[in-house]
Amino acid sequence: MKASPYWIINARLECGYEWEQGVVTGTRTELCDLLIENGKITRIVPSSEILEDGVPKKDAKGLLILPAMAEKHIHLEKTYYGGPWKATTPVKNLFERHAEDRTLLPMYLQQAQAGAESILSLLVATGVTHVRTHCHVDPTVGLGFLEGMLRAFETFTDKVSHEIVAFPHYGMLRTQARETVREALRQGATHVGGVDPGGVDQDIERSLQTIMELAVEADADIDLHLHDPGHLGLFTIKRIAAMTEEAGWQGRVTISHALGLGDVSLEEAREVAQQLATLGISIASTVPINRPTIPIPLLHKAGVAVMLGNDSLTDNWTPFGSGDLLEKAGRLAERFRLTDERSLGVALGFVTEGRIPLDDAGNRLWPLVGDEASLMAVEAASSAEAVARRAKRRVVLFQGNRVAGEW
Amino acid sequence: MGTAYWLTNVRLETGYRRENGVVAGTDASLFHILIKDGKFARIAQATETLADDLPQKDAKGLLALPSFIEKHVHLDKTLLGEPWRAVIPVANIIERCEIEKRALPALPTTTQERAENLLSVLLSYGSTHVRTHVDIYPEAGISNLESVQAALATYANRVTHEIVAFPQHGLLRTDAQPLLREALRQGATHVGGVDPATVDGDLEQSLHQMMELAVEANAGVDLHLHDPGHLGTFTMKRLAAMTVDAGWQGRVAISHAFALGDIPVPEAEEMATILREAGITIISSVPFSRAIPPVSLLHQNGVDVALGCDNIFDTWQPYGNGDVLERLWRLAERNRWLDELALSQSLRFITGGKTTLDANGTQLWPAVGEEASLVLVEASCSAEAIARRADRQAVFFKGSQVAGQVEEATTTKG
Repeated sequence: MKASPYWIINARLECGYEWEQGVVTGTRTELCDLLIENGKITRIVPSSEILEDGVPKKDAKGLLILPAMAEKHIHLEKTYYGGPWKATTPVKNLFERHAEDRTLLPMYLQQAQAGAESILSLLVATGVTHVRTHCHVDPTVGLGFLEGMLRAFETFTDKVSHEIVAFPHYGMLRTQARETVREALRQGATHVGGVDPGGVDQDIERSLQTIMELAVEADADIDLHLHDPGHLGLFTIKRIAAMTEEAGWQGRVTISHALGLGDVSLEEAREVAQQLATLGISIASTVPINRPTIPIPLLHKAGVAVMLGNDSLTDNWTPFGSGDLLEKAGRLAERFRLTDERSLGVALGFVTEGRIPLDDAGNRLWPLVGDEASLMAVEAASSAEAVARRAKRRVVLFQGNRVAGEW
Repeated sequence: MGTAYWLTNVRLETGYRRENGVVAGTDASLFHILIKDGKFARIAQATETLADDLPQKDAKGLLALPSFIEKHVHLDKTLLGEPWRAVIPVANIIERCEIEKRALPALPTTTQERAENLLSVLLSYGSTHVRTHVDIYPEAGISNLESVQAALATYANRVTHEIVAFPQHGLLRTDAQPLLREALRQGATHVGGVDPATVDGDLEQSLHQMMELAVEANAGVDLHLHDPGHLGTFTMKRLAAMTVDAGWQGRVAISHAFALGDIPVPEAEEMATILREAGITIISSVPFSRAIPPVSLLHQNGVDVALGCDNIFDTWQPYGNGDVLERLWRLAERNRWLDELALSQSLRFITGGKTTLDANGTQLWPAVGEEASLVLVEASCSAEAIARRADRQAVFFKGSQVAGQVEEATTTKG
């Protein structure tokens, strides 16, 4: 599938900062030509250099080149997206929502692949080339959703890379999902999922142990939904941390939402953040605004990898998702009052698995020769503008192949 | 205006669909609307064959919503049209103000040009009425008022407006009273103000001067109030008392009113009663970065609430796109208005209280005789338009198409 080599000419790359009195006031950029070969960027030369190698050229016409984005928390398997409008039905609690969800399972199962493909088309157009989806598996639905997801990713195999979390939606213990999750891991799921070991499974210790056992057995990573609030959430995070250390699963565990971190004191959050950083436990967040947002800058500063996701676009849970991760980064910036050039530029990293063009001193971090040519060309003067102003995306490349837009 | 034409195949909401006693959806069907002299003159079922020779514009099934009101914006502050610049970090608000005072006059573009750029954006998203604040302070005099008035004059046939004379750097602090008086003489419709306690230092005197100016000029009032907690609610109580004393009920607004988000529910209910009785409107830009007024509680207690985009790419904030429907979407997400009825009824916050249906599903808008100011959107109903931030395809102001594109029908007879 690798196309023959070609140049992207007149690509705008960030090359440093402008400083005034020790403060970054702007980003310097330069026009470069990028040689794309075997899915990678193999040469970067100033556009002033005349290329006479006869290799085909695509003209970026001064568009800013940024790393492609990674959607790290979404539910592709259950969506209304692409279909007719349907608002959410009012319910009293999570279990009523589960009950409603159950009645919709046949419909969702039937359209799992089509719905996932609709969302993937949108994600790719907005600059996403990697997706981690959660996928409902349990004894009732079996692996039906997983099969739909695998087919959808097969359709998009030249456009996005993926991870699939085997997610016992109504509880690992509550639905006795262990065997189904085990089977899902054999059939293509890459991560063990779970949800609220306290609030849903009612047995924190056994729920977490089951997840860890399944992960170790299948040599799989973990991504746990944790909505449990306040100190219940915090306690659960500490137990996950302890088990991660015991199992030697450092760098292989994600906690999604981790809402409790938004409820506790900053001192408590800071303490647990250090633990998470040490163990390489990452956090996936949607930057919620309908409850206290977890302290993302604090976590980032402590060295915790925080990654964002859309979660859901429109389904029986919520109708509000725009599907635009760059907008999520902008929301994060606005939520935490990140308004200056450097802070906004750093915020891009929350949607690119940490890839940003410049370091604190203004040295180029991305793209470097040898980097994968998964990138987006946007209408902006800098990554800061792209985040703050939700820059228009014009062209998206995945491993060198153009997957959205036109040069 | 002055001419008549049919806007054909317009989707209008006709009622709510109920399942198990709960609103589960919105019914809508297609209509032809006769627009004459800027008003809705007739609303006919789309099945009806139009026999007259009047021109037709085909809405092709797009949903019509009442056009929007942008209730809090700063047309004189925006950098739209200028190259990107982030916000310069500062130690305090005084430094922030000084940066703005230096930066704006030094720009190559004029305040009028930038204000027109922003008006164009606001209009494209469906706002046909704008309340703007304009900075009035000694160094600038009333020049911002004049520039913004010139921009609004350019848009006179597309957007109606109100202008708040806003002493950004403090009414008392900058001794702005004479300038505000001048601004009110020169066409400002409202007296503004900002944090009478923390900016002006003398809460009572600041409010008093503001009210005095309003009464003297027979103008409305719109106060920026960021002061938090009980300092904020105390300020509101004093303003409410002065409003009632002056007989100014229905003419006073408090923008931001963050304090209402800081206090316990029973106190917020008490404040709502005070605000309702004084006829004070609360205006929010739905910021993400702090607690905001409890809009449901305020509305349920009879307080008018309106939304605005506030800062849009200026020296204070780099964000903001001028889409007031997106502000409503934020508010809905924030308040978990997830269901059809809650979403649908929330439209009122950006339309000056208009919804297409009442809570029972009876059609309210459009009605014959009303001003034909509307937005055509790609959605099946109001709820969808809000939750999914529907694309705006065309905007009409008093019968005239002022943004977007609707094709002239090629045949005039159906």
